[in-house]
Amino acid sequence: MNFEALLLSIRLALCVSAILFVVGVPLAYWLAYSRWRWKFLLEAVVALPLVLPPTVLGFYMLLAMGPRGPLGRLWHAAFGHGLAFTFAGLVIASVLYSFPFAVQPLIVSFETVDRKLLDASAVLGAGRIRTFRRVILPLSVPGIITALVLSFAHTLGEFGVVLMVGGNLAGVTRTVSIDIYDRVQSLDYLAANRAAFLLLVISFAVLSVVYGINRQAGRRQWLPWAAK
Amino acid sequence: MNSANLAARVRKAHRGDTAPSFLLDLNVEVLPGITILFGPSGAGKSTLLDCIAGLTQPDAGRIAIDSEVVFDSEKQVNVPPQRRQIAYVFQSLALFPHMTVEANVGYGLLDAPRQARGRVAEILQMFRVETLRARKPREISGGEKQRVALARSLVTLPRVLLLDEPLSGLDAELKASIIDDLRAWNAARKIPILYVTHSREEVDALGERVIALEHGKIVSEGTPREVLDAPRRRRLAQAAGFENLLSATVVDLREPDGVMRVRLAGSLCEIEVPLGRAAPDDHLRIAIRAGDILLATEPPRALSARNVLEGKIVSLERRGTLIAARVDCGAIFTVHVTPGAERTLELAAGKKVWLVLKTHSCHFVEG
Amino acid sequence: MDFVRPSSRCLLLLSCLLAFRSANAQEIRVAAAADLKFALDELDTQFEKQTGRRINVSYGSSGNFFAQIQNGAPFDVLLSADIEYPQKLEAADLAEPGTLYEYAVGRIVVWMPADARGDLARLGWKALLEPGVERIAIANPEHAPYGRAAVAALRNAGIYEQVRRRLVYGDNIAQAAQFVASGNAQAGILALSLAVSPPMREGKRWEVPTNMHPPIEQGAVILKSAKDKKGAHAFLAFLKSDAARKTLESYGFTLPAPVGASARSQ
Repeated sequence: MNFEALLLSIRLALCVSAILFVVGVPLAYWLAYSRWRWKFLLEAVVALPLVLPPTVLGFYMLLAMGPRGPLGRLWHAAFGHGLAFTFAGLVIASVLYSFPFAVQPLIVSFETVDRKLLDASAVLGAGRIRTFRRVILPLSVPGIITALVLSFAHTLGEFGVVLMVGGNLAGVTRTVSIDIYDRVQSLDYLAANRAAFLLLVISFAVLSVVYGINRQAGRRQWLPWAAK
Repeated sequence: MNSANLAARVRKAHRGDTAPSFLLDLNVEVLPGITILFGPSGAGKSTLLDCIAGLTQPDAGRIAIDSEVVFDSEKQVNVPPQRRQIAYVFQSLALFPHMTVEANVGYGLLDAPRQARGRVAEILQMFRVETLRARKPREISGGEKQRVALARSLVTLPRVLLLDEPLSGLDAELKASIIDDLRAWNAARKIPILYVTHSREEVDALGERVIALEHGKIVSEGTPREVLDAPRRRRLAQAAGFENLLSATVVDLREPDGVMRVRLAGSLCEIEVPLGRAAPDDHLRIAIRAGDILLATEPPRALSARNVLEGKIVSLERRGTLIAARVDCGAIFTVHVTPGAERTLELAAGKKVWLVLKTHSCHFVEG
Repeated sequence: MDFVRPSSRCLLLLSCLLAFRSANAQEIRVAAAADLKFALDELDTQFEKQTGRRINVSYGSSGNFFAQIQNGAPFDVLLSADIEYPQKLEAADLAEPGTLYEYAVGRIVVWMPADARGDLARLGWKALLEPGVERIAIANPEHAPYGRAAVAALRNAGIYEQVRRRLVYGDNIAQAAQFVASGNAQAGILALSLAVSPPMREGKRWEVPTNMHPPIEQGAVILKSAKDKKGAHAFLAFLKSDAARKTLESYGFTLPAPVGASARSQ
């Protein structure tokens, strides 16, 4: 049983979710409250990974990470080696791929906060940051949880992008999905089934726990695809 | 003591989604005490409050509290709402649902946490909600929510208080009680309070200065009696409780008597109304309160009233504690009588009656 | 159309359907290993000129196709990079008996981009040990024959342990080529057939001696579930023809002796 691949996938999913939270919250805040007339273009860009095939995204990431690509050049200048075939490379590619899964629930949840509450907060003397911390954030907890869970789950199951930029290195980029695929190609169906089943069980357990906790908070869930 | 005037000169194009768009264009001075902003929905009252509070930017104008300018379109001054020290209670109250009453009330005092507890306790007591301090907004009643909203705004010691229909949906007794508490608070502070309402009873109850607003312009200013009892605009008349609005044409003017005769549209009925700026054949509208018309079942004689009209009862309808009778005298009038009168006079549909209208109960209205 | 008898109407409908079916069945469905991409494109053109029929090719990894065929994938012919898969299909009675054919023997090369430093032709294996070669791409040895051959050759050359940590694995030989071509890997051990193809032929290559690894025997087989058996047979016959063999040779494949003919020396 290849626990190394499973642990790698979990590590990847945790890193990606954390990064998406840090990057996604300010972006979602801006998209929710800005009145810039070209905002819709940025929203379309954010949603692009939803429609792009993962292999397409992966392929272009591979080029971007190459010695002539923008990411590759930056990384090489900073760290002295390439970005493809590294865990960091996977993280970056996965962040891009799961981007809309984090950002869209956050936007919806910020937008549904009653505007009058924000007005009241301003009139009572609270600046934008305090209003965000004390009014918007606490009232957006279900949306934040959804964003984190979706990023985690989506990354855990990711295959196409990892296949394109990973290089299948054990312990570094051989995630559990790649490992299962390898087993199938090597005709080792027994190992493939075992790994797939374990992945399914763990994913289901994680999702159930999170949705269960969220349910107790007394609030309802929604699907990001129903937004906008 | 904070005794300051609020002066606001505002022009803003307003694109309403339900009401048609209009231009808010007015100049108002609000003295310490309660000033009522009265008018129908869509008149621009909430927009004006939003401009004063800094939540919306006027297209042009100047807003100042005494000598401090918070907005000036020419000098490019626009103080953000956080720093205007203006309290604003919305119609929806906007209490933070995830915080307790105590946390809600203390929200505006986050900069001075040590004093906060004491001041919050004090104001909760003043508005009689101290027993609710640990409850969440969804656990308290409507009237209690309103008190908490007031307490939250006033604990910050604002220089101006704006209230947007703060007491809608409450019964008369509760309203009176809250208004009393508000007056008591303002007796000490004496700040300008701008109170928006479309309810006539509230205007009467608060009884200070009234500014009537319609379609973004001030149509009338003065005491409640002055503004409401002599409405110059039709909609204001409807809001102020004139059940009868009749079209009429001027027949002739009698300047020495201070009256003019008008013929009611669609009939040969002529009545005498106070003299106004009109000429023969001008069209105008007459507003008469249903409660100002007397009903007789016999032709009255030797009355001081100049207008006696013969007619027939068309229908009788019970409305709460009174009876609304519709009488056809050529023009249809609505008359209010008590149930006792209905019994004594044995009123019924079809009965011939006489209506008596005093000249000065007939107000003329433009539009 | 009531002047036409019901039975005639049926016949008309049926012939329409058949006509429609045969129109669609023109293209022979081929599952081919990734290293055949360019060679097969050329063979397709030749085949069409000769017979008027076309092939419809899906490229991928042989192991993948094997799994799919076991589960009913609708191919007519399998051109595998590893003869083991067609052999397994025959054993599982999923192949037409007697159609197994070794159509080529693959070769591997060490490949570097044209602008790489160092004289690859002179250095041979040593080029992989040069500083600056951070990553070496090969196909996944677990299931790709070219990957297995690469690892065997590296071991034989005695440098496997040294380069092991720098290896990156492509899902198939085409992806390994992609890794090097994009610059993310500085060198690769690729199929000769890909190295001589238009996008890669400008690069530097060094042909690995065939005795350094077990032969990469590439086998073809007609599937029992093929819908177009006639077409499949026609294509296989074409593959055995001199013209096709010459084409394959030009792409760097070596050919086993044709059945029934005298052995040719390589």
